[in-house]
Amino acid sequence: MRIYVALRVLQLSNACIYRSEDSMNKKKWTAVRMLIILFLLVSVIFPLVGVMTHITLEDAKKIMTSEQFLPMIGHSLATTGISTVISVSLAFLLAWCLNRTNIKGKGVFAVLFTIPMLIPSVSHGTGLVLLFGDNGLLTNGLGIHVSLYGYFGMILGWVLYSFPVAFLMLTDSFQYEDYTTYEAAQVLGMGKLEQFRTIMLPNLKKTLISTVFATFTLIFTDYGVPLVVGGKVMTLSLYMYREVVGLLDFSKGAIIGILLLIPAVAAFIVDLKNDETANASTVTKQYVVPLSRKRDGISYCICILTVAVICLPIAAFAFLSVVRQYPIDLSFSLENIREAFELGVGRYLENSLAMALGTSFVGVAVIYFTAYLTARSKKTLTTLTLHLISMLSLAVPGIVLGLSYVLFFKSTFFYGTIVMLILVNTIHFFASPYLMAYNSLNKFNRNLEDVSETLGISRMRMLRDVYLPCTQKTIIEMFSYIFVNCMVTISAVSFLANFKDMPLALLIPRFDSQSLVEATAFIALVILAVNGIMKIAVYILERRIKDPAE
Amino acid sequence: METKSRNVKLKVRHVHKTYDDKVILGDISFDVMEGEFLAVLGLSGCGKTTLLRILIGLEKQDSGTIEMEGREISKLAPSQRGMGIIFQNYALFPNMTVLSNVEYALKRRKETAKTARETALHVLEQLGMHEHLNKKPRQLSGGQQQRVAIARTLAMNPDIILLDEPISALDVTNREIMKKELKEIQQKFHTTMIFITHEQEEAFYLADRIMVMSEGAIEQLDTPDQIFKHPANAYVKDFVVAHLEQKYQSLLKCTGREKF
Repeated sequence: MRIYVALRVLQLSNACIYRSEDSMNKKKWTAVRMLIILFLLVSVIFPLVGVMTHITLEDAKKIMTSEQFLPMIGHSLATTGISTVISVSLAFLLAWCLNRTNIKGKGVFAVLFTIPMLIPSVSHGTGLVLLFGDNGLLTNGLGIHVSLYGYFGMILGWVLYSFPVAFLMLTDSFQYEDYTTYEAAQVLGMGKLEQFRTIMLPNLKKTLISTVFATFTLIFTDYGVPLVVGGKVMTLSLYMYREVVGLLDFSKGAIIGILLLIPAVAAFIVDLKNDETANASTVTKQYVVPLSRKRDGISYCICILTVAVICLPIAAFAFLSVVRQYPIDLSFSLENIREAFELGVGRYLENSLAMALGTSFVGVAVIYFTAYLTARSKKTLTTLTLHLISMLSLAVPGIVLGLSYVLFFKSTFFYGTIVMLILVNTIHFFASPYLMAYNSLNKFNRNLEDVSETLGISRMRMLRDVYLPCTQKTIIEMFSYIFVNCMVTISAVSFLANFKDMPLALLIPRFDSQSLVEATAFIALVILAVNGIMKIAVYILERRIKDPAE
Repeated sequence: METKSRNVKLKVRHVHKTYDDKVILGDISFDVMEGEFLAVLGLSGCGKTTLLRILIGLEKQDSGTIEMEGREISKLAPSQRGMGIIFQNYALFPNMTVLSNVEYALKRRKETAKTARETALHVLEQLGMHEHLNKKPRQLSGGQQQRVAIARTLAMNPDIILLDEPISALDVTNREIMKKELKEIQQKFHTTMIFITHEQEEAFYLADRIMVMSEGAIEQLDTPDQIFKHPANAYVKDFVVAHLEQKYQSLLKCTGREKF
């Protein structure tokens, strides 16, 4: 979704609008903008450049010529490619079910489809192990025997991990299809397949391309799934994780980091070039769904089946958490949960909450203010630069950012503290909430600054009295986005957190390597619960907030 | 005409503005009289909006001076120039009620809550908006929103009000109503107004004097009467006179008359 939004934003910013030239305050505000640019330079650009300087030619040669290098790239591309195709196809199918049929409970389905986003990627791996592993619930219960470890497990895990993101990106664009084109097609006597090929695909082409790139990047840079179910198959991201966390080989890590950067940067550039023209304002008539019980029936099956697949691992987490000792003793017991807390789950949950809340508050403040500066000022070189840097985090995979921070901030006094984690997460998750705020603020009347300036109302006043009250929902959305992502992230923080300050999600790979299966299941459940509560709280809060313009 | 007896309110001299080497305003000079309704008429891109923005200080001229009652104001901040501006798209504060929209700037100007309230109520009543005090902008029609925007500007008691195509966004019926109202408001408050438009009829209906602009230059500045009778050059003749004649040709035929 984030990149999809980016398209429109750039388009908007290209349309240079007359904006006030606040003659008196101009210097002051330019200074503030420069300050933020400097902040982003130090926290994004410099560390990334720093990574490059850590590469030695010798190491590069060593990696490139090693026996495992080519197979590793092959495995990475193959698994990521296959997963992306399946994930985007599934997402497309689900988006179609929710937008082009008359099934009931579309809102509920839409929420259920995004549940996998509330748990760490690594948990999708553990979920599969619990179900299909050698002693898995389905292996034992139904006698299903699959060779999980390797391609099969990785692809399944990654599809589960990534399809909600693809779904969110696609479902939105279905609503921007103009029905009059379809009416014209019907008049011309075009068949359904013909309509799909000549109208729908071209309409959704740009969004589809963006979605494919975004999904590919997401999967390509994840090490969580292959860590658990990869078996003997080694991918680039997993290799980088092993080199850096296990062997503290930063140089090799940096080389792989650069490789991981390639598809992400490509995706970013594709998005910048991909000027999306469809939006709500071009729709003259909403799509009219014809009646068809057969189609609706099939759609129900697809949606319910998907929800079942989503719920299976979660049920497995819950089951394993409350059973005395699977598979020997299936009686109810809270022993595993007690044990998990003894292992420090409570303390690490506190770390996670502190980090997530800290990042959410700091992030929302910094990001919102940045968006205010870029969205509500004249489009000068500084604001456009700021705008571009703000979106740059879309092009930097978390683990690459994390590694660059290790190298860049190693000798600073706040290295190894929670401040470091909050900073890296703020940057890692900068772009999406930035675009949320930017889009919201950009919607306001473009003459408001002119009016306030002539009436003698300062820009900070306008921020306080007009923009903040009007964008409460956006702010809550930003907060929730950052919070949930901080709770599930195992990427940027993985190299930066020391054992004491580690967030809860990072405990999963650690426990997994010690075969503490019940504990990893329980942690996934805890993270899901926390994020679920957050989502519900946001839902209630948003319903209670009245639109201040009504 | 009657303008001779009035004092000069605003004196614009040699105002010049370029964007990227393109001349937007080429050495513009003119006077605006006290209490006058001046229409600036021209096609889009002729520089009329830039001129307005320079007058109020939202943009800076490259050279030239602007004097208000003999005082040079081009170095002052927009809020200190004693001018108000009204935009085509109203630009109201969306989260504030009609009353708050008008009161807000007054309060920010350090007026007591009581006087701010009194002023706001008075102006809103004058504009017939007293029944909608607690509504939000979105609940109002375009014409009503424009009235609130005008009230917000009037309440600040500016010396000059600038109007940037204020009725172009309204539908035809409301446009006619608003046109009449603008005239009434101007007579009621005796405020000097500079009104920007690309519609010849509007300018002729509203203005005491019309300034015809094209490509950053003044083609003619005179009363509607004079412009119609004695267009200064081919451009004015074509853009103003010919346009109006053509438009009312059919009407004239119906009445059986041959001339205006």
